[in-house]
Amino acid sequence: MEFLLPLAGLALLAVPAIVLLYFLKVRRPEVRVSTLMFWRPFVADRQANAPWQRLRPSTLLFLQLAAAVVLALGLMRPGLIGAAGVDSTTVVMIDATPSMSATDVGPSRFGAAVERARSLAGQLAPGQQMAIVLLGDHAQLLAAPTGDAALLREALDRARTSGTAGDFAEGISLANSIVTGRPGGSIIMLSDGHSRAPTSPPRVLAPFTYVSVGGTGENSAIQTMSRASNGAVFLRLANYGRTTRDLRVEMRADGRLADVLPVKLEGNTTADLTWSRLPASTQVLEARLTPDDAMALDDAAWLVIAEPPHHPVLLVTSENGFMQRALKLRPGLDLTTVKPADYKPGRYDLVVFDGFVPPGKLPEPALLIDPPAGQGPVPLGGQIDPGAVLPADPRDALLRDVSLKDVHVQSAAGVKVPAGWRPVVSAAADPLLIVHEGEPRDAVMTFDLHHSDLPLRAAFPLLVKNLLDYLLPGGFENQVYAPGQAVGLIAEPDARWADVSGPDGHTTRLAAPYPPFTATDQPGVYTVRQQLASGVRLSRFVVQLQDPAISRIVPGAAPLIQDVERSRGVLPRGTLEIWPWLIAVALVALVAEWFVYLRGR
Amino acid sequence: VLTASELTLLGRLDLTYRRPQSGLYAGERRSPRSARSPEFSDFRPYVSGDDFRQIDWRAYARLEKLMLRLYVAEEEACLNLVVDSSASMALGEPAKWPAARRLAAALSFLGLAAMDRVQVGTLGGGRVPPLRGRDGVSRIWAFLAALEPSGTGDPDALRQLRWLRPGVTVLISDFLVEDASWAAPLAALAARRQEPVLWQVLAPDEERPTLAGDLKLVDHESERARELTITPGLIADYQRALAAHRAGLTRASQAAGGRFLFSSSADDLEATMLAGLRSGAVRRG
Repeated sequence: MEFLLPLAGLALLAVPAIVLLYFLKVRRPEVRVSTLMFWRPFVADRQANAPWQRLRPSTLLFLQLAAAVVLALGLMRPGLIGAAGVDSTTVVMIDATPSMSATDVGPSRFGAAVERARSLAGQLAPGQQMAIVLLGDHAQLLAAPTGDAALLREALDRARTSGTAGDFAEGISLANSIVTGRPGGSIIMLSDGHSRAPTSPPRVLAPFTYVSVGGTGENSAIQTMSRASNGAVFLRLANYGRTTRDLRVEMRADGRLADVLPVKLEGNTTADLTWSRLPASTQVLEARLTPDDAMALDDAAWLVIAEPPHHPVLLVTSENGFMQRALKLRPGLDLTTVKPADYKPGRYDLVVFDGFVPPGKLPEPALLIDPPAGQGPVPLGGQIDPGAVLPADPRDALLRDVSLKDVHVQSAAGVKVPAGWRPVVSAAADPLLIVHEGEPRDAVMTFDLHHSDLPLRAAFPLLVKNLLDYLLPGGFENQVYAPGQAVGLIAEPDARWADVSGPDGHTTRLAAPYPPFTATDQPGVYTVRQQLASGVRLSRFVVQLQDPAISRIVPGAAPLIQDVERSRGVLPRGTLEIWPWLIAVALVALVAEWFVYLRGR
Repeated sequence: VLTASELTLLGRLDLTYRRPQSGLYAGERRSPRSARSPEFSDFRPYVSGDDFRQIDWRAYARLEKLMLRLYVAEEEACLNLVVDSSASMALGEPAKWPAARRLAAALSFLGLAAMDRVQVGTLGGGRVPPLRGRDGVSRIWAFLAALEPSGTGDPDALRQLRWLRPGVTVLISDFLVEDASWAAPLAALAARRQEPVLWQVLAPDEERPTLAGDLKLVDHESERARELTITPGLIADYQRALAAHRAGLTRASQAAGGRFLFSSSADDLEATMLAGLRSGAVRRG
């Protein structure tokens, strides 16, 4: 026998405490009565005048001591080693993809999945164990394998939906690590089929059961909202369901209803709207779809109308029309282009050096494209043939919406990633784009854009936009981010701190070196107040769901997996906990004690 | 002591005597003796020396025998009221003493209204001399009003009450005296041609105690203490012991030719008299 919680043995201190109480004389209130002739003394009551009395045998004392000892033993969780067979370990994977917040099943898909997991926890037989894995942006182990239903329920109480699609491959990897060495294990996935599928089916080391959660796929969404150069607001609405819907789009300027646009959307179609009645001096425009549908996350979109501050940017290049055009796409950017020979340091928020590195100290921040060998902040080596172009980390914010599938690079300079830098785009062996993490914000592209088809791809302007978001101070301003996405808050150089207020009013204070702001689970407008030496600078960014893959909430198919030959071994033997029986014995003792007390004998 | 409405109530009631009463003066109670009165009792044959005026000539015409017509004598009865004014009578919620005093006042009023000879005293020895007629009401009530509960209520004190006359002796008390027997004093009363009526007055919290928990109970008269943990079981024991005590009092009173009845200190006079009516100690007049 072993005690799983020996520290609870401190509860045995109750035994001397009870005995001490019997030594102590009870201080009783005095009541005057007409006679004592009908009050027959109870065996446990003794007449004594001293504060201490001699301990006498008593049924009550015996029963109380027995209950205390048994309760204390129960709290220590005694277990008989090897008496229980651990016949199964179930890993329950709950998909936390945003589409799980759809309310086509009550209370929501995620709520129904949690309830199902709660029910599974309640059905655990002695010796069975369960683990809970939450599939969010990363797979998270909510509860390690345990047979304690209370622990599992407590873990399920903490479960929340994520801002991005759940990572199925990571979840399976975590589940495999749990069931490894447990021949009786199994994996149950509760999902609506919208988790992020891996490039190849993962290997699953235990029987896998997929439980689909969700009902209909009826959902409509605001797919895009943007503002054209002529001031008109462009909206794209999508109906992902099958039935035709009569919708209204409420346009709210700074919270006040400005217009209502009726739209009739047939099933599986989109509709484009242009709205040009934007009231002057509007700071934030909100569009909201009514009536409500199964998924509220994608029914609203926001647009920060307030003019972002202008950033002076210098492009130093002999001739690079691709980069010039990509930079000009960003509003609020005052671009100056000079030849390398004409370069003079000045007050710029960003300097882009293309095939040229000035002598001396580099201005900060800086983007270097194909710097000459031996120059620049990173020592570049000889030319290499990059081959395939791959993302170093597909979830890197700098690669948001950037597809490198059809991108090729003819030649690039070899480079070893120095400390403090991280690769963003890589070739088979060497990185092609590296950025310096923290201050100063610099980026180095190791190849000439003219030796690549990257500028011809849609990925190029998106990559430049993401780089500008990262490198420019205030690059986040007026930008739209997906829920759960980390936002790099590049503060002004003289900012003392920055307060970020979410749509719910919760404010987070960030200070240098301004780590990425990650509390972006709630869709809406986030306000950033930077405390500068000259005053407060107010800016905003938007978090909203604009992912058709998630808005298309019709429950998907079970993810593809590779079933592998599982080892068959002797089931491990576990510890049989006997505390429930001890608690039952204590309960019997307490009932007997109460009965004796009531009977007065 | 009593209100006008209570006096109106008492005007419709009368005391009940089990045996014919013989007194010094004529009264309203049936006497064991025969006498001239409006109430016919019986016939008996004429014997020499009888009063000719009592011969029933109609009976002679039918039977041709001289028969004497007998009538019931109505004489005064003697009502002895003994009130227990021991310290324990001050306890209870509501206190027993006001209820006992009101009961004594009511019974004395009934006796005086029926032209009985009424004596009121306490177990301790104080008393009002025998009174007769409604004029005595105020003196008895003044005596009762001046009494305050104190001392102890020993049953043996009954033997010391030499002022008790043959008749009905009503003892108003809580009868809560530890280690005491009422049988012998009641037998002594019966030997003195007393018809004992034991009227117990208890407070509701003495009949159904509401005490609970660890308490130190102190006897109000003897100052003896007992430490108890009062549980529902102990309360049930208490009620069983009280019932046994009442059964003992009933047996002792019946053995002495009397009766035992009880009322609550929470009762008003009407409810108290109803207890008397139920037991037969009081009847409708």
